[in-house]
Amino acid sequence: MGFRALVVIAWQGILSNKLRSSLTVLGIVIGIASVITLMGIGEGAKKEAEKQVQSLGVNLIYVRPGAASNASISQGQGTAPTLTYEDAKAVKETCPSVDEVAAQYQSSYQVQHGEYNTSTTVLGTEPAYPEVRNFHPVNGRFFNADDMKDCARVCAIGDTVKEDLFPDESAVGKQILIRGELFDVIGVMEKKGANQMTDMDDQIFIPITTGYSTLFGLNTVTGQAVKMVLARAKDGQDLQAQFQITNLLRLRHGIKSPDQDDFQIRTQMDIMQTAQSITGVFSLLLGATAGISLLVGGIGIMNIMLVSVSERTREIGIRKAIGAKFKDILWQFVLEAIILSLTGGLLGIALGMLGSDWIGRFANWTCIVTPFSIFLAFAVSLAIGLFFGIYPARKAALLDPIVALRTE
Amino acid sequence: MAENVVQLEDISRVYEMGEEPLYALKKLTLSIEDGDYVAIMGTSGSGKSTLMNLIGCLDRATEGRYLLNQKDVFDLTDDELAEIRNSTIGFVFQQFNLLSSMTAIENVMLPLVYAGVDKEQRTLRAQFVLQQVGLDQRIYHRPNQLSGGQQQRVSIARAIVNKPRILLADEPTGALDSHTATEILELFDDLVEQGITVILVTHDGEVANRASRIVRMRDGQITSDSRIRSKKNA
Ligand SMILES: Nc1ncnc2c1ncn2[C@@H]1O[C@H](COP(=O)(O)OP(=O)(O)OP(=O)(O)O)[C@@H](O)[C@H]1O
Ligand SMILES: [Mg+2]
Repeated sequence: MGFRALVVIAWQGILSNKLRSSLTVLGIVIGIASVITLMGIGEGAKKEAEKQVQSLGVNLIYVRPGAASNASISQGQGTAPTLTYEDAKAVKETCPSVDEVAAQYQSSYQVQHGEYNTSTTVLGTEPAYPEVRNFHPVNGRFFNADDMKDCARVCAIGDTVKEDLFPDESAVGKQILIRGELFDVIGVMEKKGANQMTDMDDQIFIPITTGYSTLFGLNTVTGQAVKMVLARAKDGQDLQAQFQITNLLRLRHGIKSPDQDDFQIRTQMDIMQTAQSITGVFSLLLGATAGISLLVGGIGIMNIMLVSVSERTREIGIRKAIGAKFKDILWQFVLEAIILSLTGGLLGIALGMLGSDWIGRFANWTCIVTPFSIFLAFAVSLAIGLFFGIYPARKAALLDPIVALRTE
Repeated sequence: MAENVVQLEDISRVYEMGEEPLYALKKLTLSIEDGDYVAIMGTSGSGKSTLMNLIGCLDRATEGRYLLNQKDVFDLTDDELAEIRNSTIGFVFQQFNLLSSMTAIENVMLPLVYAGVDKEQRTLRAQFVLQQVGLDQRIYHRPNQLSGGQQQRVSIARAIVNKPRILLADEPTGALDSHTATEILELFDDLVEQGITVILVTHDGEVANRASRIVRMRDGQITSDSRIRSKKNA
């Protein structure tokens, strides 16, 4: 018996109880649509994280004080800092694969302009910072090498600080008080938003030399501590740069072979991988949630097919009496289940894409439907029909024709 | 002498119910010639339907030998039996047994669907047999829109659409009034005329008297077997 004829028979079976068939399809529609949408959300989160990490600057290497093993290091008084401004300078001068370096030290202070005041992070850094961070002033300028040499009392302020202290006037050329010290505002930074660590806009940038001499109050005998050294590697030389920095710092800190580093070094690549593995878990959880609703949909199909088989026992008997073989009956019911689940699958894909589009547009969340997730949804709905349809279909095909014919 | 289309030798059909086995058919031997018209009579529970199911390959004997068209069916698989039902045998039931979701003509075409006949041929053949049973209108109606007589005509059309050698009818007029019953029985006469072997179960003596041979049963055995007229197209 031909495949076309079997499909027609299965289709007639579906049409013979339209309401029930539609409700069964609805179960699959919801399952598939949530798979598509949730996978889209997961994919969006991944892209978003990548974008953010990328926006921190490319080829970046972060060096922080403290051993990798003990996360919290005490910086109590009398303890020599493990990472110093001198280290940063040495990295810049001696590592051939390093392009630019910006050391940074930051602390929170009260800042004031006229009647306005706020508490914000004051970041002491070097002129290379805008370049390395890919974060530039929109008004005025960032401080330069001369300002560094002179320990000039100049600062560039972030967008949030500008709004807090200068709500209705331009800031460049005005003066602000940072913990009582007077600074000239020479620039206002572009709006950058928050990354996963800090709000980039709620900061004030000053020359690190000025910071050491006025605000940070660190004595110069044990060396000037830095909280981070940002280094930018030359293109394609991330690994070499990481290697050179590690060697240099171990040498400078007098660390012998088996001992651990007293600093942590991470590349942009590491951070990207961490972000990806986190969003990967996130996607998996979303996928699992959607999978459960699909499973429920599949059980719905099985349930309906079982009801359908027992309701149509007499029909099966009649078909067998006039010559239907085992496979004819088996395929009739398997195809019925597959048609139901595929219809649900296709409608679910459409609904899921629509839903993703809405989430993207109205919830302002990137929601990306990939061809892979569409393919997956399609394959899964086919598999569901087959898997949950085969048991009821076998039950039908194995019915004894006489018993079936006698059933009312 | 014509060959036997049906040859049953010492056939038993046993149902295992509780302690004692129930013999629906007990060592029954029966031969039916090609083209004959046989009526089977007997009290309720005497095993008539069981016998019909066996002849029609819907059921298997517990013991004994069954030759259909000179061929032993004992070793055949379920699918092979299905093929025999499709090509060699036509069933007509008391309760018509039409599929309610299909139109009359779709019901008639169904055996041809399972035989793998293409759609055009199916339609032509179905229209032909529907005309033959006297139903050329209302063929696109569903069974519940047809009278009992019309439904039985559809089911006879379905039974003969694939040109069977044997037509098995288990109380085909049981659900019909006497006038309609007569019309249906006239159809059977036509089929016998065309050379189809007709085996019919009935409680009604008048119905049985239209046949050429009457077989009476009791308790799973044949009690009398008489030829009341010679075979029609001998
Ligand atoms: N599936 C079954 N299980 C157990 N016993 C059965 C089964 N089918 C039939 N029988 C028994 O076999 C015997 C013959 O049944 P059968 O249906 O052949 O009778 P019948 O002659 O057709 O009766 P009626 O005229 O009422 O249709 C009965 O005693 C019946 O109870
Ligand atoms: Mg009976």
